[in-house]
Amino acid sequence: MNNMSPEVALHRISPELRPLLCSVVRNGRVGLDSTNCLRVTDLKTGCTSLTPGPCCDRFKLHIPYAGETLKWDIIFNARYPELPPDFIFGEDAEFLPEPSELPHLVHWDAGNPECLLQLVKELIQQYHHYQCLRLRESSRLLFEYDSLLEDPNYGRNMEIYAGRKNSWTGEFSARFLLKLPVDFSNIPIYLLKDTALDPGEDVALLSVSFEDAEATQVFPKLYLSPSIEHALGGSSALHIPAFPSGGCLIDYVPQVCQLLTNKVQYVIQGYHKRREYIAAFLSHFGTGVVEYDAEGFTKLTLLLMWKDFCFLVHVDLPLYFPRDQPTLTFQSVYHFTNSGQLYSQVQKSYPYSPRWDGNEMAKRAKAYFKSFIPQFQEGAFANGKL
Amino acid sequence: MAASISGYTFSSVCYHSANSNADHEGFLLGDVRQEETVSISDTQISSAELLQVVEIHHHDPCAQLFSFYDYAGKVSEESLNSILKDRRKNVIGWYRFRRNTQQQMSFREQIIHKQLTQLLGVPDLVFLLFSFISTANSSTHALEYVLFRPNRRYNQRITLSIPNLGNTSQQEYKVSSVPNTSLNYAKVIKEHGAEFFDKDGVMKDIRTIFQVYSALQDKLQAVCGEVEQSERVKEKIQEEVNKLKQQIALRKRKTAEEERRLREAQNADSHSTPEENTEPCEGSPLSGITFPTPSAPERPSTSPNPPSYTDLMSQDDSLLPSSSPPTSAALLPRPQAVGSPGHPTPGPTVMGLGLGHGLGLGLSASSNPVTTPSTPYLGNGDGSSSDSLDRQAAGQEDDDDEEEDDEDEDSSEYENLVSEGAHLPMVSASVLAQGRPAALSPDGDAHGSQAT
Repeated sequence: MNNMSPEVALHRISPELRPLLCSVVRNGRVGLDSTNCLRVTDLKTGCTSLTPGPCCDRFKLHIPYAGETLKWDIIFNARYPELPPDFIFGEDAEFLPEPSELPHLVHWDAGNPECLLQLVKELIQQYHHYQCLRLRESSRLLFEYDSLLEDPNYGRNMEIYAGRKNSWTGEFSARFLLKLPVDFSNIPIYLLKDTALDPGEDVALLSVSFEDAEATQVFPKLYLSPSIEHALGGSSALHIPAFPSGGCLIDYVPQVCQLLTNKVQYVIQGYHKRREYIAAFLSHFGTGVVEYDAEGFTKLTLLLMWKDFCFLVHVDLPLYFPRDQPTLTFQSVYHFTNSGQLYSQVQKSYPYSPRWDGNEMAKRAKAYFKSFIPQFQEGAFANGKL
Repeated sequence: MAASISGYTFSSVCYHSANSNADHEGFLLGDVRQEETVSISDTQISSAELLQVVEIHHHDPCAQLFSFYDYAGKVSEESLNSILKDRRKNVIGWYRFRRNTQQQMSFREQIIHKQLTQLLGVPDLVFLLFSFISTANSSTHALEYVLFRPNRRYNQRITLSIPNLGNTSQQEYKVSSVPNTSLNYAKVIKEHGAEFFDKDGVMKDIRTIFQVYSALQDKLQAVCGEVEQSERVKEKIQEEVNKLKQQIALRKRKTAEEERRLREAQNADSHSTPEENTEPCEGSPLSGITFPTPSAPERPSTSPNPPSYTDLMSQDDSLLPSSSPPTSAALLPRPQAVGSPGHPTPGPTVMGLGLGHGLGLGLSASSNPVTTPSTPYLGNGDGSSSDSLDRQAAGQEDDDDEEEDDEDEDSSEYENLVSEGAHLPMVSASVLAQGRPAALSPDGDAHGSQAT
């Protein structure tokens, strides 16, 4: 059964093995890509077919790794649940980890629900070593690997998948999945809370695929966890520079890192700036403030009066404020347009400079309002209906 | 590499496996042998192919999992020994049964296999993997088995053949070389084996046949000896015959000369007496060898009637030497050959091998009537009989001799042969006169008396 929901899997598995699988399915995140949790499919039983269920004791575990999904068979025996499982490593028939490197196998404790998950993590580690060894087939890629390994920023958070040589062309390919050491902790929470999914850990993963051993065809790709992606402004945030031909990862990755960091900084700064802006407006316009976005500080509405003419000003602050100019929408409280909306005018260009601080912006805004309102009033009277 | 497992062993493994409620494993005991096939074809002298054949005779199921290895997959040699005991040297592989899994060696199986290869000292240890696949609604179950030899890098899967698994009514029932180790079977064979086998373990029938063969060989050897002896006798006789031939030739030359001289003398004396006999006689000296077949019986010049043998004998007793050479003493009437009109028949003829008879008979003249015409002597066939002698190693054929003599003029040589110059009786003389040049003088002298 594919795409089995975890609960279904847990239901069908033999009761003695359930706790082990539970921790894998519910909490199991291995590897860098924690957004994809471990998936269980193909639940089968090793008991005779007449054994009443639930008695499944063997299944396929899908593990995301370096952009690939490993499909490993895990074989228990329902009649002997205390025994450690056996593994079939799918297509990686040559992967044979040393049991001494798997402490959770050697000291298997069926009573510990985390045992299986830990064992899987240890296996992934061994698998990583195995893949790194396979990199030795290409000196260029090995160089890439070694150079990254030396940098503590990247060396410890790397997953390598060394693909099989293409039997036709004899080409060797590999994929590097790197976790970028970008600090997302200061991103305002409100940005991260907007995602529907449980965001989990915020990661940015850079996947670089080498389609040939000489690194002439390199395809980088940036993966952001959904919340970060949203926080940074959607898929446009994923634009990264192309891999320079002849370049190497040790130069490229920091570049990407910096780019991302800058973006994050922008976002953080923008947040603070907006907050400052709103605060300034609040203090300047005091009771004129109708409402404002107290979380993201993206919107502000003012009700102002000039010579007995009341009007509303909606201020929309863009994501990359103060780089981008806030949008001012003037709205008449008296006049309607033909469509029944309040008559409004949008002003996107007005005297503005990103270098002003909040106070200055508030003052200037006020001045602008004064200068613009007569125009608006005329317009409202001319075009709107009461 | 080929592998085979007997049907009963295979079914036993399946039985044990299918009845277990979890994974199941055990050891395979058997034999590995090398088969060398030498094939000769037109394109090359010979090519030898070595094939390793693995035969699985028994299996030894393990009572439980992890019985000889621990969680880390480390094999314990003591446990292995306690399970296998003295069967350890027969181990050629091991097997595992697991339901609903892939046909691929698992992580722990590979680790165990490596250690078993080392501990058991079997470089090509095989691994038989059974997997039992059931469909979701349990309607179809498949038992799949694959034999691996994981110690090789390539061609790791070997086909496992189960002889006689199939339609044996169409094919021949194959007898496998799996030894029968059943104790009961061995007992029964031991009890009843004495009826078929002798004390050396060889089948009795074989021994009997061999004895027959030996006897035949002995007989053959004996016959060979006899043949050798008879060959030697024949050789001796052949030599004697050759000697006599030479003598005959010599005498012939001598008599020919003498006759010539006599004739010359006679011609000078009596020109006016033409005789039937002489004419041909005259002619005959010229044709020394050829003998025209005279229509008229030969007659001695003196009397038209052939003298009786007794007369002849009485006349010319002296003609016959007492000790006649064997060749001349044949006075027996010779059986008449078919188609021989009237060769001069010396009463006594020389018979190749019947010399003894001739001798004896020749001497007793009275006992042998001689009818000249009716008993044409076709020559003893020494001329021909020698041929016949050659042709018949063991026995002489009178008939053959006479038949030969139709054409063989040389037979008359024997007519000429007078035992040591003895003069034959008239009959012989007439005979001689008829055909023989200078064989007989008209006066009845039988020179070169016909052989008797």
